[in-house]
Amino acid sequence: MGYAIEVNNVIKKFKRGSGLKKREIVAVNNATFEINEGEIFGLLGPNGAGKTTLVRCIATLLIPDSGTIKIMGKDVLKYPLFCRRQIGLLTSGERTLYWKLSAKDNLKFFAALYGLDKKETEKRIDYLMELLGLKEVQNERVEKYSSGMKQKVSLARALIHDPKVLLLDEPTLGLDPQFARFLRDFIKNVLNRQERKTILLTTHYMDEADELCSRIAFINQGRIVDCKTPEEYKRDLPHSEVLEIKTTLITNAKELEENLSKIPTIEKVNITTQNTITHFKIILPRAEQVLSDVISEVQKYAKILAIDVNEPTLEDVFIYITGRRLTEDTKEELELE
Amino acid sequence: MNFKAQLRIVISEFQKSIKIWLAYPILLVFWVIAPLMWLLPFIFQGKALVGGMHSEAFKNLTGSPNYLPFVLIGAMVSTYIFSGLWGVGNSLREETYWGTLEYIIASPASPILVLLGKTLAEFLYASVNVGLQALLATLFLGLNLTITKILPVLVIVLLLVIGFYGFAIAFAGLTLLIKEAHGWVHTIEWVFYLFSPIRYPVEVSPITKTLSALIPLTYALVAIRTIILLNKNLGDLHKIIFILLIMDIVLLLGGYIIFRLSERRTKVAGTLGQY
Amino acid sequence: MNQSLRNLLKEWFAKAKHYLRAIWLENLKEWKIELTYKPDFIRGLIDPLVYALPYLLYGIALVGGRTSENLNRLVGTNDLITFVTLGYIFVGFLNMALWAMGFALRKEQHWGTLEAVFAAPVPRWVFALGMALHSTLHQGLMIFLQIIVINLIFKLTIHPQGILPSLVVIGLMLIALYGFGLMIASLTLILKQGWLVSEALSGIMMIITPIAYPLSVLPVFMQKAALFLPTTYGVMTVRHFLIGEQMGFSLWTSFLRLVILGIFWVGVGMLIFEIIDRRTRRSGTIAHY
Repeated sequence: MGYAIEVNNVIKKFKRGSGLKKREIVAVNNATFEINEGEIFGLLGPNGAGKTTLVRCIATLLIPDSGTIKIMGKDVLKYPLFCRRQIGLLTSGERTLYWKLSAKDNLKFFAALYGLDKKETEKRIDYLMELLGLKEVQNERVEKYSSGMKQKVSLARALIHDPKVLLLDEPTLGLDPQFARFLRDFIKNVLNRQERKTILLTTHYMDEADELCSRIAFINQGRIVDCKTPEEYKRDLPHSEVLEIKTTLITNAKELEENLSKIPTIEKVNITTQNTITHFKIILPRAEQVLSDVISEVQKYAKILAIDVNEPTLEDVFIYITGRRLTEDTKEELELE
Repeated sequence: MNFKAQLRIVISEFQKSIKIWLAYPILLVFWVIAPLMWLLPFIFQGKALVGGMHSEAFKNLTGSPNYLPFVLIGAMVSTYIFSGLWGVGNSLREETYWGTLEYIIASPASPILVLLGKTLAEFLYASVNVGLQALLATLFLGLNLTITKILPVLVIVLLLVIGFYGFAIAFAGLTLLIKEAHGWVHTIEWVFYLFSPIRYPVEVSPITKTLSALIPLTYALVAIRTIILLNKNLGDLHKIIFILLIMDIVLLLGGYIIFRLSERRTKVAGTLGQY
Repeated sequence: MNQSLRNLLKEWFAKAKHYLRAIWLENLKEWKIELTYKPDFIRGLIDPLVYALPYLLYGIALVGGRTSENLNRLVGTNDLITFVTLGYIFVGFLNMALWAMGFALRKEQHWGTLEAVFAAPVPRWVFALGMALHSTLHQGLMIFLQIIVINLIFKLTIHPQGILPSLVVIGLMLIALYGFGLMIASLTLILKQGWLVSEALSGIMMIITPIAYPLSVLPVFMQKAALFLPTTYGVMTVRHFLIGEQMGFSLWTSFLRLVILGIFWVGVGMLIFEIIDRRTRRSGTIAHY
């Protein structure tokens, strides 16, 4: 079996701002990975890590500054039309459809763009509306739909030409939990298992990546920092535990972080603050051994609200590798989104 | 993609545009009535300044003393230009606003075919508008349109809009790069109002006369007024027709090239889909 | 007694200071936002000029010069350039009420700031006055530029002693236009296609306000309708002072009607604003866009 997508040393920079404030932002920095046919490949990283830029390069919406991208063995810049036919694209966000048209009219239009003839179009629309449970409402204007239904129509559009490869960019962002659940099951069971589609999924929800993906690439500040199966990632932290502490607000967290890192056996410390509560994640072999040291150190700075010891999750691996949480984002990177 | 599939793209876009317009019937009413409403002050001004419906000074400049049909024709023909400027020139901006542009660009369809569909829809839309305007003008303002003049006028209108839509396609491409497109639409509107004989005979001043020679609309308006008001036929207008043809070719080719360049530039700069 | 009066005065002054500051800052805020995108700002300044010039050139084409005997017969002045230019100033005032003020609230709604503005501890009319102040200053600047440029091209001739009374007339007219603008601003909050309402109203008002022609050339029903518009009296009285237009009614009638119209439109504006404000607060649609 060959590769469905090959990404080779891709670099993409943007110029932002004007005049004195003009500067260059490296959105994707030398990314390289391959996706096998038939697998669900995850691109996991915090907001602004460069996931969307990478997906847009693959979808031929952006031209990389350097590097090559191949879809089913063909270069996206040399054979854009071939590549576009292989790809179905789904992005997050409310507005990606013609609200003044019905679901069916939206799909008919895009079917024509993909070169489907009348008969095929009817057949595909029928099939997809049935599959997604939209049959009853397919002639109603999209503006009347709930956001979950709109996302279903967007998904149907991504599937209208029966593509081999699906690019799903944060597909569950902003959806209610129940519908996000439906979409995840649908991606795994219907799209991947039944229809044998190759799927590139970007997300900053680690549960989503863990549950769906056969392999995951961690992306941070435009770089692919690692690429493995979820199980392999978890094996990266052999015999480790994660000590989680919540305290009242700590202002000089940097100093405390340094002090904690000095305690023997502690491998990684991550501190974040949200709504006046400071969260600690400390990765170490056995929490029990140093618990009292940690507590007495932390108590110098704030009042402890809760302590917990857990098995490492994918997010802890991400912290272990990058020192950052998936839910963090930096100002500069946000401008890219 | 074979010819049939390409044709389907054009037709689908055409149908889509029409369906979206039908969702806003009030806009159709607006575009029929507004241009006529805007020209009423010109009729009253004429009455105030010359006391009747004929002006000798006007005849010296335009060949016909009737100022009412002069401004009527200006309003009707410019409807094609202004609705095309919004309907084609601003259409990709609109797709960006709807969030659908990225999906069009990500498909294997050529965006030029999509724009062609939009252009055809726009032409139909403007023609319905102008047709209804002509009807209203005939009923209430005493415009005299004989059937035999409609065909030659249509030929000139076609020659005008082919080049203009080329320009609008170039403009559509540029809107992908420039965010404040509506401001530019206004600026272009100004140029047309000031330097082409939509609302007044440009011959009134040597400055406006010279500048108006650069705008295709000037030739089209002169030709259409000559046909309707001075009873000439296409044969008498071969010089103007030739100039319009040359302008069409230049504008269509230029439009295509500028669109292609901007499309590529957008993908490098990463501004696609930003609103 | 004396003490409490002093306290009352003190309180009153504090309140007045607070409100005046709010009005001024609302005005400043609008300028700052407009100036963030300079090409649009400059384009906005030139806009009225572009639409005024075809009127003038058309006039010249009609009579083959800048004097019209027929105009002289109708209103007692033959200089069509000055006549039309002075008239065109009032298009600017109409635009102020219909667009600048008319969309001030809608803009806040679009930016998502309307709720915060309305939650502030100042009466709503303070905000309305801030809007009015900004629109007037902005429009004033545009009109000033327009007159300067047209004067450079065509040389206008006016009676300079008429300038001061003209400003008084314009001031009186503005009060009525503020009321009108407030009504539009409220309506655009609840109408989805608010710009169509403004577009239609501006089309109609541009026809029946005697801008480029005397009132008497309009059909009778339009002349009657024009008498309800403050701009009709504004344009005719200003031209009366500056170029001696014969109005067909006395100066006192004109002033009196402007005052009546002022009271009428401010009343209507405030009433409609109040109704819509209550409605949106009950139905909770104020933040909707």
